Amino acid sequence: MPTEVLLVEDSPGDVRLTQEAFRDANRSIHLHVVSDGVEAMAFLRREGSYGHVPRPDIILLDLNLPRMDGREVLGHLKEDDSLKTIPTVILTTSDSEADIVQCYQLQANCYLSKPVQLDAFESLVKSINDFWLTKVKLPQQPRGG
Amino acid sequence: MTKALGTVVDITARSSAAERVRLAVEASPNGMVTIDRAGNMVTVNAAVEQPFGYRREELVGQPVEMLAPARRAADKVLAQMEGRYRGLLEAAPDAMVVVNQSGEIVLLNVQAEKQFGYRRDELLGQKVTNIIPDGFAARLIADDLRSEEDALAQQIGTGIELTARRKDGSAFPIEIMLSPMESAEGTLVTAAIRDISARKKCEVDLLQKVAELNRSNEELGQFAYIASHDLQEPLRMVASYTQLLSRRYKGKLDSDADEFIAFAVDGASRMQRLIQDLLAYSRVGTQGSDLRDISSEDALRQALINLRGAIKESGALVTHDPLPAVLADETQLTQLFQNLVGNAIKYQNPGVPKVHITAAMSGGKKWTFSVRDNGLGIDPQYFEKIFGMFQRLHKREEFAGTGIGLAICKKIVEQHGSHISIESRPGQGSTFRFALARSERTS
Repeated sequence: MPTEVLLVEDSPGDVRLTQEAFRDANRSIHLHVVSDGVEAMAFLRREGSYGHVPRPDIILLDLNLPRMDGREVLGHLKEDDSLKTIPTVILTTSDSEADIVQCYQLQANCYLSKPVQLDAFESLVKSINDFWLTKVKLPQQPRGG
Repeated sequence: MTKALGTVVDITARSSAAERVRLAVEASPNGMVTIDRAGNMVTVNAAVEQPFGYRREELVGQPVEMLAPARRAADKVLAQMEGRYRGLLEAAPDAMVVVNQSGEIVLLNVQAEKQFGYRRDELLGQKVTNIIPDGFAARLIADDLRSEEDALAQQIGTGIELTARRKDGSAFPIEIMLSPMESAEGTLVTAAIRDISARKKCEVDLLQKVAELNRSNEELGQFAYIASHDLQEPLRMVASYTQLLSRRYKGKLDSDADEFIAFAVDGASRMQRLIQDLLAYSRVGTQGSDLRDISSEDALRQALINLRGAIKESGALVTHDPLPAVLADETQLTQLFQNLVGNAIKYQNPGVPKVHITAAMSGGKKWTFSVRDNGLGIDPQYFEKIFGMFQRLHKREEFAGTGIGLAICKKIVEQHGSHISIESRPGQGSTFRFALARSERTS
């Protein structure tokens, strides 16, 4: 069974870079992309045109997004019994202490800063794959799933 | 018990009315004396003789002080004091106004006339509320909760800021100091009134300047964020995609394409370093210094750990004397040592780089640190330039780096209230010096 990854990212350049990096790291991944928080919630709740999308195994969430930003998405996710078990990895350019603290308070599963250098970004994506998508045991029957 | 009847003197003619008066006076149980203008006694009644122990003829023609020396002297002193007090009032640089318990002005000086724009006679006897509408008279009045004395005592010696009004109706800020004065008419209050328009204006100006400074500091912090995030974002795209291009298409296009892509990759990564350095520089200023008692030796040790790669690679010999406790921001001091020692290792002749760090007490309050190396040295004409932002003395091919290191050093040292200096000659090595305050814990 392929691993379903939801990437919430508004910059097309970053989306493509992440796709390229995952292609190198693990070809069996299905990377779904939405570009803001409202779309992310619709995807996760299978609303509107997202009626038939799979439940993601992991969410990669950017913080600065149009309409509904990543912090709000994180808040909604962790208040929702059926969604809170999906590991949510913050993947953002912000390395501000305030953002880091706030995200962990909102129960993000981990916080990663996007490295500036391409090599470092690729190796970060590889470690996300090696850890979250390979080593980590995820629940098979999510509550209310 | 002694009473002066000053008006009886003129009617000494032997009229029957005068005689009746004389008899009445003579019969009075109170001692009675009449005096002339010089203060000498003219008549004395019987009631005076016994208590004072004088016979009547011993008193007539004598000064009245014979009977009441202390009282007379007190009156004289009081009169003298009043004279002196007027002199003091006029000599005071502030407007002075003396007010009685009814809130009426009984005395004022020429400064008060000038300050309020009235002539003296326009103010004398007038209510003080004419010139100080609120807050003055109210403070002197007794109420159910406090006596006159208490009301006044609460105000003595402290400056009270109020608003005063000139004759032309214009208002100005004042500070008044009150002091009580006992007098024949009861307790009077002297108010020294200072026009504080200039001080108020300075205070307003100062607040404005502080607000401006805060705003510009905030803008600088904002700039740091823009540099860190908004500028880096698009640049990260340029850098990443040119690197991706280079990796995937190197050798697949023509040699021109390879060269162009290489320049683009190089330019983008240099700009990334510049932005990161700029950010590091602005952080030194915007985050402020957290001055504590710390061990400068610990800070150096941490700097050397951070530099271990460069030290190992160059084979440098970094030594130091025992270093003191100082009052400094530990993170910044570490960065300062790291930049200085890093430079010392970097700008080197072939051979073993040697760096030695010492500290010497100067003036009892400060430690002067020296970081001495045996490197290339610097021509004195560049001493100013090297501490500037992005100033470099070498080509990029010779030495990498953006030229921010010493600018950051300078900023750190200045944040510690000191300045950094250099002593060097080309080929003779360099010594950088800076001073830090002695730790408060050291005895």
